[in-house]
Amino acid sequence: MSIYLPIAELSVNIFLLLSLGGVVGFLSGMFGLGGGFLMTPLLIFIGIPTNVAVATSANQIVASSISGTLGHWRQGLVDFKMGGILLIGAFFGSILGVWIFSKLVSIGQIDTVISILYFALLTGIGLSMLVESSKVIRDRIRRKSVKQKIHYHNWAHRLPFKVRFYKSKLYISVIPPIIIGFVIGILSATMGIGGAFILIPAMIYFLGMPTSKVIGTSLFQIIFITALVTILHATTTFAVDAVLAFFLILSSVIGAQVGVLAANKLRGEEIRALLAIIVLGVATKIALDLLVEPNEIFNLSVIRLVI
Amino acid sequence: MVRQLIILFYVLIGVLMPSVLFALVIGSDQEEIYIDANFSGEELLVFGAFYSDPSQSRDSKSDILIEVVGPLEDVALRKKDSYFGFWLNSKSVTFRDVPGFYYLSSTSELTNEFLVNNQIGLLEKEKSEMIDWSSLTTDWGSVVNEKEKKEFYNALIRTKQNDSLYKQVSDEIEIIDGNLFRSYIDIPNTVPVGEYNVNLHLIIDNEVSQEYSYNFMVTRVGIEEAIYSFSKNYPFFYGLISLVIAIVIGWSGAEIFKRFRKV
Repeated sequence: MSIYLPIAELSVNIFLLLSLGGVVGFLSGMFGLGGGFLMTPLLIFIGIPTNVAVATSANQIVASSISGTLGHWRQGLVDFKMGGILLIGAFFGSILGVWIFSKLVSIGQIDTVISILYFALLTGIGLSMLVESSKVIRDRIRRKSVKQKIHYHNWAHRLPFKVRFYKSKLYISVIPPIIIGFVIGILSATMGIGGAFILIPAMIYFLGMPTSKVIGTSLFQIIFITALVTILHATTTFAVDAVLAFFLILSSVIGAQVGVLAANKLRGEEIRALLAIIVLGVATKIALDLLVEPNEIFNLSVIRLVI
Repeated sequence: MVRQLIILFYVLIGVLMPSVLFALVIGSDQEEIYIDANFSGEELLVFGAFYSDPSQSRDSKSDILIEVVGPLEDVALRKKDSYFGFWLNSKSVTFRDVPGFYYLSSTSELTNEFLVNNQIGLLEKEKSEMIDWSSLTTDWGSVVNEKEKKEFYNALIRTKQNDSLYKQVSDEIEIIDGNLFRSYIDIPNTVPVGEYNVNLHLIIDNEVSQEYSYNFMVTRVGIEEAIYSFSKNYPFFYGLISLVIAIVIGWSGAEIFKRFRKV
């Protein structure tokens, strides 16, 4: 059974879409990730045009990060003030990101740029997960507990415009969070990701936020950044496919809940290592597409229907 | 039913127009193809009858040719080149007013000469040496030499063929009872919307004897049309509604599962 996607202008198998959303949702629920970094490349692999994949993926992340934020909010683990300041940067970053995106579409280089960005992102994510999980597994075997530093003091604490963040117990300048938000905004708009994978380490290491507040706060600001990116894409690139988004959201929300349940039952490190391998596999596929001489070196895109 | 009608037409024409040497009557099972949520391509049936005067020499060779031309569009064709091992888009050519869909089928293989003389065909030019560049409106960009132009033109045809949007065949027309014919034409799920032209030619001894053409439309309908036009006409509200859907499903999904877990 297939469904016609009105914006992508092609029909795809409905079960393929539902299982794609379900699997990405499951992984995101299990590991507390947004899942955009897998959703966008997988959509491109099944033949969805790059611009539709990016814009629709942003829309899907809105749904999955709302589910996630609710849980953290109830436990009081969201620093709304920090989230708000990150969003100021993200607002301008995503406007610039969508502008860059539509420029790249018009000069025909969007596929290449997206591929390179994704290759870099996925390789980084995959390797760091692999290293981290193997370290945990090794430490577990040696029965060692991992020591963690709670607070970092660095250059972020010496800049002007300092503000007190009561929830995170921080007194730092607003400049670093604005810059971090700005960069995440650009990446979110061009790649269709929430950016948690970059945001979370940045919040811990650059801002020195307590780990307990980081996930909720990043999810909270991802809702708004991806919401903004969805609106910007809908109005400038016209690439948000509501039908595609609907099926992905439906299946990923269910998949995410199943993933959360599974996470409580299973031991994380082995599965995390497996996910790392999947991520590296996707990265390898992207790299091969760039490096191996394609069968067809020409590609066609319709600019305008003459009516 | 359809077949009876054709025979009726055929008889009527024989009776009413005895002076006509050859006549062509055609029909189609659809005047419109609707793209709805379940659309996954369609088969278009084109059928007809041709009548020949018994006094005409039996040796003359008759052929049917069916041509379907889809709505015109502008396309950008980009060629990848290797830069430091990476395959990246480099040269780009814009072809204007090319058919978004093209289908040509005949009962026997037609010569290039015939096609060129009668200005039929798009695909055979690929093989022929005589491409009339002036018949195409093209922004060649940095492509200047003849060889490269031809390479781009061939690539245009080839990529469209790979997407099942261009096709030329000589074995898809079925002849029934000597004077009736029918053909099923594959309309893939990626076809552009708009007006399609069906041209039929009755060819006697390599000369076009009769021509007939009609149009059909490919249109989006129902929810597909509603979503598409809403996204184009009210993009901001379209984005907003997409968001509301995401928020509602995301939120309610979390709530429903929370209740499940408590039970």
